[in-house]
Amino acid sequence: MPGMARTAAAHRAAFPGGGGGAGRVALGVSLAQRIRIGLLLSRSGSYAILSAACRSGALRAVEEVNADPAFPFALDPVERDPAGESDAYAPLCAELVSQGARHILGCVTSWSRKEVIPTLERLGAVLWYPCPYEGFEASSQVVYVHACPSRHLVPLLAWALPRFGARGYLTGSNYIWGWEVNRVARDLIQEAGETVLGERYLPLGDCDAGRMLAEIRATRPGFVLNNLVGASSYAFLAAMARLREEEGLAIPVLSCNLTECELPTLGAAAEGLIAAGPSFGEGNGSLEAAAHAAVLSLARRMATAGPEAPLDALLAAPDGGALEIDPATHHATLPALVARVEGGAFRVLERQEARPPDPYLARRPSFAAARLRAVAP
Amino acid sequence: MRSLRTPSLGGARAVILHRPHPTVEALTRQLAAIGLQAEAHWPDLGPTALAADFVFFDVDRGHDAQFPWPPGAAPMPMVALIGSEAPGRIEWALSMGADAQMLKPVGDGGVHAALLIAHAAFAARRALAAEIDGLRARLAGRRTVVRAVALLAAGSDEEAAYAELRRRAMEWRVTIEEAAARLVAQGGPLVRRRPA
Repeated sequence: MPGMARTAAAHRAAFPGGGGGAGRVALGVSLAQRIRIGLLLSRSGSYAILSAACRSGALRAVEEVNADPAFPFALDPVERDPAGESDAYAPLCAELVSQGARHILGCVTSWSRKEVIPTLERLGAVLWYPCPYEGFEASSQVVYVHACPSRHLVPLLAWALPRFGARGYLTGSNYIWGWEVNRVARDLIQEAGETVLGERYLPLGDCDAGRMLAEIRATRPGFVLNNLVGASSYAFLAAMARLREEEGLAIPVLSCNLTECELPTLGAAAEGLIAAGPSFGEGNGSLEAAAHAAVLSLARRMATAGPEAPLDALLAAPDGGALEIDPATHHATLPALVARVEGGAFRVLERQEARPPDPYLARRPSFAAARLRAVAP
Repeated sequence: MRSLRTPSLGGARAVILHRPHPTVEALTRQLAAIGLQAEAHWPDLGPTALAADFVFFDVDRGHDAQFPWPPGAAPMPMVALIGSEAPGRIEWALSMGADAQMLKPVGDGGVHAALLIAHAAFAARRALAAEIDGLRARLAGRRTVVRAVALLAAGSDEEAAYAELRRRAMEWRVTIEEAAARLVAQGGPLVRRRPA
């Protein structure tokens, strides 16, 4: 059984890795065949920690595949580093394809993903995208391995609004991720009959959270939804922790993209943060797990359908349960967990079973019913 | 800024009026990914089209007789599928009441934006049409109002007569135009109370 070496039980639930072989059908692939896969991840820049988690998951899967004699090929990763510069992604993506990589794992920000999609379409390449994003996209050239709002924001606010009540404050990085997640959040909050006290953005990498803190101090919201990314987020959360320690103002902070990989950097400032995602509590978190599941799933599907198979055929091939992808939307079917950082680690507060993805929020639950239904935290 | 009320698209029905073609497949794929049910019709819209929430229609080979409603009177938002950008074809698409458009060949995107824009444009068009109907009715009643004020003004001043007309409209719970029409029909201000 190829790729069965799994350690994290919690990951198995979201990205199960599962059983099932690489397949006995080798479709004439020679044992020596090496298949190029691209890694398009920023190893420096303001969100390098997130990229590093994805990279480590992808490389772990490459090692597992290459160590497993049941696979009729070896994966040969080729990397490009856009260093957090959004304009570098599209040309480096084209370079990876010219190096023979038809499947690329990468991109952390939606900004960079949107940059590479025209290149993928032009060159017929596929991006396996391992990070949570804001939804409202279903490219035929992208496989969305992590959660969209139906599996992060919606369950998160459904859990939080009855507990933290009527008044929220929204932060975000100044691009499509923050804008759209907060736009949906505003809709849900208002539908539940509650209020958005403020909404403020920082450019990627900007660490000046002063204005946000002043507004939060002045308005005293019941909760903050934090959609800042990387360094901006660390600065903001450190300032929120100081607000708690120095002024006794403990405001719950919610996140749709916080995972284990950022906890060491955040240190004590992570205490009490509440996040939604497909898995918590084991290993280096769901970004690492998603990247691992993506590469493992791709390799297993290639082993059955053939490495040159078009994406639709690959997605129709079995992968031993590593990663369930909805063929209509190319999004993963994932569970949704809500967890809180307690004593430096996530503790799961609520778990919704895996559900088909709904990237356009066409089937989301109404939040009007959440009105006036208070729940003890 | 006008806020966009996101329509509920889950389970909504879209009808595509286009001959069998990869464009139909691309549209159907995008619509399914968003969560709509899609069906293709050709050479004309069948009876089920009347129950659709959105209609996508081919502009290149389209003509009036394909639709079960008169040009410009579609009861749902319409999205034009434009291949040829010849002015004559665009003019026809507009005459059919296109609320949004997509250029062919349809690829991997554009349907969600077209749905939202068509929905918003259709709602705005409907609201405007209702407002214009109301204003037209009031405009048409203006001559009657003048005549009613003249009737009421016999012996007093015009301002008092207009105030009296307003008072009666409120009492009768009708518009000023309607009250004026009643007074003119009665031939004068003799009846001061609504008939029991």
